[in-house]
Amino acid sequence: MNQDLTYWLALANLPKWGPKKTISLIIQFYHEKKLTIDEFFQLPEDAWRNEFGLDSQAIEDLKNAQTELPNQAFLAESLLNEGYEVIPVTSPEYPVTLKENLKSQAPVIIYVKGNKQIMKEQSIAIVGSRSASDLSLTFTDNIAKLASQQYKVVVSGFAKGVDKQALDSALKYKGQSIIVLPQGIMTFGTGFKTYYRQIVDGDLLVFSTFHPKAPWKVELAMARNPIIYGLAREIYVAESNEKGGTWYGVVDGLKKGRKIYVRKPDENEKNANEKLIGMGAIPVDFTGKALESYLPQSSQTTLSLVNEPLVKQLGKRSRPKSNQEPKQKGLFDD
Amino acid sequence: MTRQEAESILREKFKLDRFYDEQWQVIEKILRGERVLLIEKTGFGKSLCFQFPAILFSGVTVIFSPLIALMRDQVAKLNSLGIPARCINSEQLQEENQKIIEDSMTRKIKILYIAPERQENAGWIEATRRMNLSMVVTDEAHCISVWGHDFRPAFRRIINLVNLLPAGMPVLATTATATKKVEADIADQLGGKLSIIRGNLMRENFLLYVIKVNSEDEKMIWLGQNILRLPGSGILYTGTRVETEIYSRWFEFNHIPSVGYNAGLDPASRIAIETGLMNNEWKCVISTNALGMGIDKPDIRFIIHTQIPQSPVHYYQEIGRAGRDGQPAYIILFYNPKDRELPEAFIEGGRPAISRYKKVIEAIKNEMLGEKDLTRKTNLKQTQVRVITADLIEQKIIRQVTFGRSKKFEYITGAKELDTKSFEALRAIKHSDLDNMIGYVETTGSRMKYLCAFLGDTDQRTFNNCDNTGRKKLHVNVTPEWTEKLKMYRENYFPELKVESTRTRLVNGVAASFYGVSNVGRVLHRCKYEAGGEFPDFLISLTLKAFRRKFGQEKFDLVLYVPPTKSGDLVKNFSSTIARILGFPVSHNLIKARQTEEQKIFENGALKADNVKDAFIFDDPESIHGKNILLIDDIFDSGATIKEIGRYLSKLGAAKIAPLVIAKTVGGDLV
Repeated sequence: MNQDLTYWLALANLPKWGPKKTISLIIQFYHEKKLTIDEFFQLPEDAWRNEFGLDSQAIEDLKNAQTELPNQAFLAESLLNEGYEVIPVTSPEYPVTLKENLKSQAPVIIYVKGNKQIMKEQSIAIVGSRSASDLSLTFTDNIAKLASQQYKVVVSGFAKGVDKQALDSALKYKGQSIIVLPQGIMTFGTGFKTYYRQIVDGDLLVFSTFHPKAPWKVELAMARNPIIYGLAREIYVAESNEKGGTWYGVVDGLKKGRKIYVRKPDENEKNANEKLIGMGAIPVDFTGKALESYLPQSSQTTLSLVNEPLVKQLGKRSRPKSNQEPKQKGLFDD
Repeated sequence: MTRQEAESILREKFKLDRFYDEQWQVIEKILRGERVLLIEKTGFGKSLCFQFPAILFSGVTVIFSPLIALMRDQVAKLNSLGIPARCINSEQLQEENQKIIEDSMTRKIKILYIAPERQENAGWIEATRRMNLSMVVTDEAHCISVWGHDFRPAFRRIINLVNLLPAGMPVLATTATATKKVEADIADQLGGKLSIIRGNLMRENFLLYVIKVNSEDEKMIWLGQNILRLPGSGILYTGTRVETEIYSRWFEFNHIPSVGYNAGLDPASRIAIETGLMNNEWKCVISTNALGMGIDKPDIRFIIHTQIPQSPVHYYQEIGRAGRDGQPAYIILFYNPKDRELPEAFIEGGRPAISRYKKVIEAIKNEMLGEKDLTRKTNLKQTQVRVITADLIEQKIIRQVTFGRSKKFEYITGAKELDTKSFEALRAIKHSDLDNMIGYVETTGSRMKYLCAFLGDTDQRTFNNCDNTGRKKLHVNVTPEWTEKLKMYRENYFPELKVESTRTRLVNGVAASFYGVSNVGRVLHRCKYEAGGEFPDFLISLTLKAFRRKFGQEKFDLVLYVPPTKSGDLVKNFSSTIARILGFPVSHNLIKARQTEEQKIFENGALKADNVKDAFIFDDPESIHGKNILLIDDIFDSGATIKEIGRYLSKLGAAKIAPLVIAKTVGGDLV
């Protein structure tokens, strides 16, 4: 067990410190000054001020965090005892995809339960509205099936509609999945009961970036969307309305330069898929195949999903460990 | 802070003059935020090593202790000095514990004692987030180690917690009994920068004796003849719960003021006995090893064991309570070569068969299960399920998680296979410990040195405080008068059947004897299973005697008997005879509603209860209303059948149901 966890919990939960501020501090002490987190916490106030340029408010916050360390130790102990793992951004277990995608906005620590290895696999996110049409759900099922056949992990947000379909389909097709929670991981109680077998079998990872005891909130659900995108190499949108989580998530993703694949809607569908395509998302057909006429770059004709060699679809258990492979980029990744 | 300054505070707050050097050595380290393991004998004053720094710290000091009696004791002492201390435990009301937690958060409490199991309570964990904590103490730290004599799984979480505590937070672990192996294990688990302070364990004021006997009778006779001749008051440790009852009735029979104590008693009775012991209300408290650890009575003048403990460490721990005031204390151990069997059974039976481990693993792999469901699914005894799950948690194959108020076991993704080698190593060590305990009986040298050497204390001084080193040997003098007395006692001693509850009209009943202690059990077995004919007359007269002793001239409206699963009309005929002699009407209308299995094939109480649930009906239900009923059976084991019939008859409106049986089994609870 790692004493550092206590310090990480303290650092990650500093009031009103966004990830950006915290991450830049971590870069300073961990990467530049080569200090461990407990060494950093034990530095005198002067050092915080002079060597790290922290202002008096920040120092005050750190001092408060220091007095609360024993309390964090109790929290850490109960987390670990219940089988949750806490992974700081400096850990080799921290998902590389998330760090690369979110950069300075990456969460300082993540809380997980289940098979951690899943975070090292190739991954796709399937997102969409809570009240999606049957058509969108069938699309979701299709994409999840293809992903599972190619040993790609399906990342979803555990909301009703598309998210839930993505998860259930991935598990149905014996694939692996990551649930990104809109709440603290310790509040997911019944979910752990529902997905007990899948967790035991190593096919599921439950993932959260919020304080472990935080209950579900709209704000957390919104804040979770960039995490879903961040964890995935490819992003598929089954259905989006013109506002709400999916919409803002896609808009934000496009702004950050992510390639986002949106199901090409039928003519009479009432949703905002077409609009997202107009804003730069890439339309795909029912099997995830990119529709050439819409593509900005003619060289890219199919998605990585349908491009995988068939032979890889056989013998799931003999899959090589992807963390030992050179890092692969999806066809549509930058 | 200098020692002088500290001692001036000590005088003011604790009314004590000065620290021992070793105490001050520990306190200095604690005040500097260091981690210390302190191994010192009982009576040394270990508590002061954390109580003193605790009053100097601004926040709360949390002390994990497995001993409720000790916690209560120390809290009372601290409060009498005006130091705000409290204790959270499972025997207090929820509201009371809640209030204490709140007071700790608002800094009204300086010292908080708490059972290690509390670390599993969600409310407590929540509260710790808002407490200002200054120090963590683990009392009885040997419970951390599987190599110790009293490993307790709940301590695992305390270790995990200590390993997560930030640098600079003082941690103190204390114990009076740790071999070198246990010491190394504790140090390893507590990790990192830990100072170990070990004092000498010799107790010069102990007077150590071993009395070799050839039977239970000899032990009882020696005690009957001699216990009143010992100075002051003390404790008699027996091997099992039933024996606490047998010995305390024997002492009663001999007009020796005494009381029986075991872990099965309700909290109020336990507190009353602990208080009575402090106030010398009895010559002797007769107890399993559930009593005594941490009782802070300075003048326990004797500790006698009727059963040899499992190891010299157990023994040292149990006798450690005597003579804390430094005055002479008699330490007597009875030994009958047959006594080896009980600790051996503990060692052999302590670990269930590997196939049972596998059964448990499979069940948990399949679904998340609470302890009760797991017990049902596997048809294992609850005690076995506890041993198995504790081992599996230790091996990181399963873990216990909390869902609201319930706890469930879950399988750990990617866990390793069960490692059985560690069980074998542990068993080998326990056998060798038992051999060493018997070595204590057989040694011709100083007994004190023998014990201390086992604990890793190598004092070179000579001692003259045992029956091998100058003190007179003790022997049993069996006289016809005392043999007769013992026979009289046996024929007049009837075990109680504790079945009373607020939910039914059952009252406590009586058995004519214990199954297995006299020839009653043999006779019953012959009649029931070897076609030995009707129950003989002596069983009828013994049962009638038991009835008279318990119920006197009380009248019953109706005699019912438990319809048998197998043994034909034996109980029917027996009950009819008893009813005829007592002059009460007997009814044959209590019958089985469905076929049940024999209770003895089920290993746990939950399945026994399931087996008989709704299994009985009474043909003429209205006639039960308002009746006082005598309910007869041959053997009383878990009591599940009697309780089920009691529940059913209460529902039909019976006014009272009193059980009467021929024999009560001895098995079951040991402490």
